[in-house]
Amino acid sequence: MSNDATGSSVPSGRWPLLIGQAVIALIGLYALLGSLKLGLWSALGPGAGFFPAVLGIFLMVLAVLWLLQGRATPTEQTEAESFDGAQVGAVILSLVILAAALPFLGFQLSVFAFLMYHLGFRARIGWVKAVVISLCGSVGVFYLFTTVLHVSLPVATLLPLSMVGI
Amino acid sequence: MDVLNELMMGFAEAMTWQNLLFAFVGCLLGTVIGVLPGIGPVAGIALLIPLTLNLDPAGSIIMLCAIFYGTTYGGTITSVLLNTPGEAASAITAIDGYQMTKVGRAGVALTIAAVGSFIGGTIATVGLVLAAKPLGSLGLLIGPPEFFALVVVGISLLVALAGRSMVRALISGALGLLISMIGIDPVMGAPRFTFGMDRLLDGVSFVAVIVGIFGLSEILSYRPGKNQTVTQTPGLRALLPTRTDWKRSTPAFARGTGIGFAMGLIPGMTGSVSSLLSYGAEKKFSKYRNELGRGAIEGVAGPETANNAHANGALIPLFTLGIPASPTIAVLMGAFLQQGLTPGPTLFAEHSTLAWTIIASLFIGNVLLLVLNVPLVGLWTSILKVPYPILAGLILMFMVVGAYTINFSVFDVFVMIIFGLVGLGLRRLDIPLAPMVLTLVLGPLMERSLRESLDISHGSFSIFFDRPITMVLLLIALVIVCSPLLKLRKPAALVAEDPES
Repeated sequence: MSNDATGSSVPSGRWPLLIGQAVIALIGLYALLGSLKLGLWSALGPGAGFFPAVLGIFLMVLAVLWLLQGRATPTEQTEAESFDGAQVGAVILSLVILAAALPFLGFQLSVFAFLMYHLGFRARIGWVKAVVISLCGSVGVFYLFTTVLHVSLPVATLLPLSMVGI
Repeated sequence: MDVLNELMMGFAEAMTWQNLLFAFVGCLLGTVIGVLPGIGPVAGIALLIPLTLNLDPAGSIIMLCAIFYGTTYGGTITSVLLNTPGEAASAITAIDGYQMTKVGRAGVALTIAAVGSFIGGTIATVGLVLAAKPLGSLGLLIGPPEFFALVVVGISLLVALAGRSMVRALISGALGLLISMIGIDPVMGAPRFTFGMDRLLDGVSFVAVIVGIFGLSEILSYRPGKNQTVTQTPGLRALLPTRTDWKRSTPAFARGTGIGFAMGLIPGMTGSVSSLLSYGAEKKFSKYRNELGRGAIEGVAGPETANNAHANGALIPLFTLGIPASPTIAVLMGAFLQQGLTPGPTLFAEHSTLAWTIIASLFIGNVLLLVLNVPLVGLWTSILKVPYPILAGLILMFMVVGAYTINFSVFDVFVMIIFGLVGLGLRRLDIPLAPMVLTLVLGPLMERSLRESLDISHGSFSIFFDRPITMVLLLIALVIVCSPLLKLRKPAALVAEDPES
C-alpha cells in the first residue's frame, strides 16, 4: 500500500533515509551535550570537549543539509545496498552467542558449535565435511595460535571442561 | 651514498630467514585475500594484524606490507580468469584480461600482469628510497599547525573522491573522528563518551571497529551469484608471452608506472583511479588502441602496472609525512601505531634501521610475488572452487579471533558485532566507509595537533592564518570541500564496487 493512500507525504522508500538522518543528528546532539559537560575551554587552551563539540555541531549541520538535499531532489537515485534480513539475523545472533559462550566454553568448543551451525545447518555441506572443517577451524586454529604463534585464545572455565583443558 | 648504505643495511636485516619467512607468508595471505570474494584489502589487513602481534616490529610490518601489496596481485587473477575482480583496482583489467581468457590466452595475461606489477612496484619502491630522506627532513620542519592542515587536506580529498555525495562522505569522516574520541582525553585526562564503562577508557579497539565496519558488514550484505563459476587453470606452457607480447607491453609498463606512482603520492586517490587512468592513457597513446576491449595485452599491462606502482608509491606519504593516502594504508598505519611506531619523518630519525628494513623488504616482496604468482595460479584458482558458505563461516571465525586477540577481551568481539551492524546501516544509507577509516586512525593525531597548535598560540586561531604553509593547505582543503563546481568525483564505474570506498 502506498503512503499516498494513507495520506502521508513521505514515500515509503524514504523512511529509512529519514530515520538515518535523524540518528545522525541525534549522535551530533549527544556529542555536543557530552562535550559541554567536559568543558570546552580551559586556562591551558582548548578543553577535552572542544573537538567533540565542533564535531557534534558539524554532524547536526550535515544531517540538516542531507535532509534538505533529499527534499530538493526527491527522485535522487541512491545505490544503497539491500540485504537478506534472515542472513543478517542468523549471522549476528550466532556471533553474539559465540561471544557470550567464549569465556565459559572456551574457544575450541564454542567455535566448533559455531562452525557446525554455519556449515552443517545453514550451508548443508554434508555432515562429515562439516565436522572435519569445524574441527580444523576450532581445534586446529586453537593450536595454531597458542602453540605456533604464541597468541592465547580463551579456554573453558566451566567444570568439567576446564579440567580437561579445552 | 648514505641512502645506499642504509638501504644495504636494510637488506641485510630483511634477508634474515625470519623476515624472509614473514614476507613469504604475507605475500601468500595477501594473494588469498585478493582472490577471495566477500573480503576486501581493508578488512583483510585489519583481520590479520593479530597474527603479527607477537612478532618483533620489523617482522610484523614486513608481513603486513607484504599482505598489502599481495592483495593487489591476487585481485588480478579473478579479473582475468572469471571476469570478477577480487579487488576494485583490478576491475579495469577484466575488460581485456577476460577477453584474452576466452581465446585461450589467460596464462599470457596473468604473466604480463605479474611482470607489470613487479616493474611498477619495484620502480615505485626506488622512488620511495629516493624520496625518503629529503621528504623526511622536510617533514621534520612541519609543526603541529602544518600537520593539522595536511591531515585536513588528506581527509578532504578522500571525502571529495569517496562517493556520490559530499555530505554523506563528510558524515562518515565526522563519525570516524567521534569514534576516535572515545576514551581518556590525552591532554586533560578526562574520560570521554565511555558510557561509564571502564573497558572504554582506552578507547575502542581499532581492529575490532575496522573488522566490523568493513569485514562483517561485507559478509552480512554479500550475496553470492547463483551460478557456480568454473575456472580453467592455464598450463605452464601457456603462461609464456611471445616476443610481440613483450614488445607491445613495454610502453604500457612505462606509462602505467608513471601514472600509478604519481597518483599514489596524492592522498585520497585509490588504486582503482590509477588503473582507470592508465587504461585511459592506453586508449589515447597505444599503437594498438583499436584492439582495446577485445583482448589487447596493453589493457592488462598498463592498469596492472599502475595498480602496483600506486600501492608502493602510496607508502611515500606514510613513511615521510605520516599521512595515509588511502584507507588500506590507514589500516597499515594503525598497525604501525599498534607496534609503538609513529610513521612519518621521526621514523627515520628514531628507527632508521627498521624503516630501511621495511623498505628493503618491499623489493624482496615484489620478487617473491612474481615468483609465487604465476606458477601457483592453479592453487589460487582452486580457492575459488571452495563453496562460499564454507569461506564465509571460516572468515567469520577469523574475525572473532582477530577482534579478540588485540586485547584478549570478549568485549572487543561485541564491539566488532556492533560495528558490523553500524557498517551495514551505513551501507544501507549509501554512506561511504573510506573517510571513516581514515579519520578513525588520524583522529587522535589530528586533535593533538589542533590542540598543540592552540596551546602554542595561547588559544588564538590566528596561528593557522599566520603561517603561510598552513594557510595555503587549509585554503586548498576549503576549495576541495566547498566547491562542487570542481566535480571531483571518482569515475562512476568505480564508485559502486570499490571496497576502499
